[in-house]
Amino acid sequence: MRKQFFLLMLSICCVAVQAQYTGYSPLTDFSKFKEQFSLASQKTTSIKSDFVQEKNLSMLSEKIISKGKFWFKKDNLVRMEYVQPFQYLMIINKNNVFIKDGQKENKVSTTSNKLFQQINKITVDCVQGTALSNTDFSYKVFDNEKTFLVELTPTAKNLKAYFKTINIVVDKKDYSVIKIDMRELSGDNTVINFINKELNTPIADALFAIH
Amino acid sequence: MRYLLFISCLFIFLSCTSLYKGLQKNSTDISCLQKFVPSFSSALYNAHIDVAGKHLSGLLIIKKMPDSSTRMVFSSETGFTFFDFEFSKEGNFKVYSIIKQMDKKPVIKTLRKDFELVLMQHLQNKKTYTLTDKTQMYIAFPQTKGYYYYITDFLCEQLIEMERASKSKVVVEAIMQNYKNGMPDTIGISHKNFNFDIGLKRIER
Repeated sequence: MRKQFFLLMLSICCVAVQAQYTGYSPLTDFSKFKEQFSLASQKTTSIKSDFVQEKNLSMLSEKIISKGKFWFKKDNLVRMEYVQPFQYLMIINKNNVFIKDGQKENKVSTTSNKLFQQINKITVDCVQGTALSNTDFSYKVFDNEKTFLVELTPTAKNLKAYFKTINIVVDKKDYSVIKIDMRELSGDNTVINFINKELNTPIADALFAIH
Repeated sequence: MRYLLFISCLFIFLSCTSLYKGLQKNSTDISCLQKFVPSFSSALYNAHIDVAGKHLSGLLIIKKMPDSSTRMVFSSETGFTFFDFEFSKEGNFKVYSIIKQMDKKPVIKTLRKDFELVLMQHLQNKKTYTLTDKTQMYIAFPQTKGYYYYITDFLCEQLIEMERASKSKVVVEAIMQNYKNGMPDTIGISHKNFNFDIGLKRIER
């Protein structure tokens, strides 16, 4: 009886998990995925891409859509430049962050700001493929015909206060990141879609220079 | 020494003197202020906040909800929500969310009062009165503690400045300029007693 009850609960849980992401089913053996993902990211030395960011404010029925350009170069060099409808530039160069917000330029050392460091690490980890070994999160992997969905659940206390989950959609073709979906506890979320991706094209170091 | 005592007394006397004491009090119709009340159907602002030497930028969305309340959500450019406030038409206030670093009573209270001054939702106050000098009109709305002043030109055709004040001194100065479709293009809020400024510039979407 107890065993039957356990099986029933297990099947309910499985259905619940499957229903979580339409079209996706959970991956039982993700060691292969992890291996492939890290292998592909090892081969990725640079990414150049456009992005469209959409912040959804569920209670307000509002969307804030912004567009920009994204550059990534190994190791730990990221340039994210918002060009529409506002100007905002963020450069991550190892442990330093440079921000230009249209009015002021700001240099932040991420080592002195833990939350900033963790949030920026998410972006870098996602595109660099090291998200799965980030100890600030536990993860689950789902897949459909063309993509994998990696669900990261924060385990670190300060991140738990902001994010329910961070979901990364990975292309099965080249294991590159298509989409990052940051889901807040309030029900609002921010989705960054990477489009017109170019992998491993030469990118000048000067783009990541912090003066 | 005597001179110092005199200066001190004078200073105390001046600081106790009521703000705008020399102005004429009269009962001008204040309905002219209605045209300056912003109607934020839905507006997105680029926000710059300077507080105690630190600079913070982000996006502020202000939206009038179907129940006539006004919702205000401040987030970073990268989408991270800092706070989500609601100002009801009746003057009530609700915090839906706020990040831990800002979740402090004095911070929330200051932001609430600053934005209430700008939203102009308390214009139904019956105790209101008007002060005038030769060029300007000061429309005062007494609060439980302090006053809100809306300063216009003599004919009430232009909103020059808004102020939050105690009995004797100005605490906050604010401006709203270049209205388009009832929404100001520029909003500025500046504190006089400590280093805290908010600048908002509307983003066309």
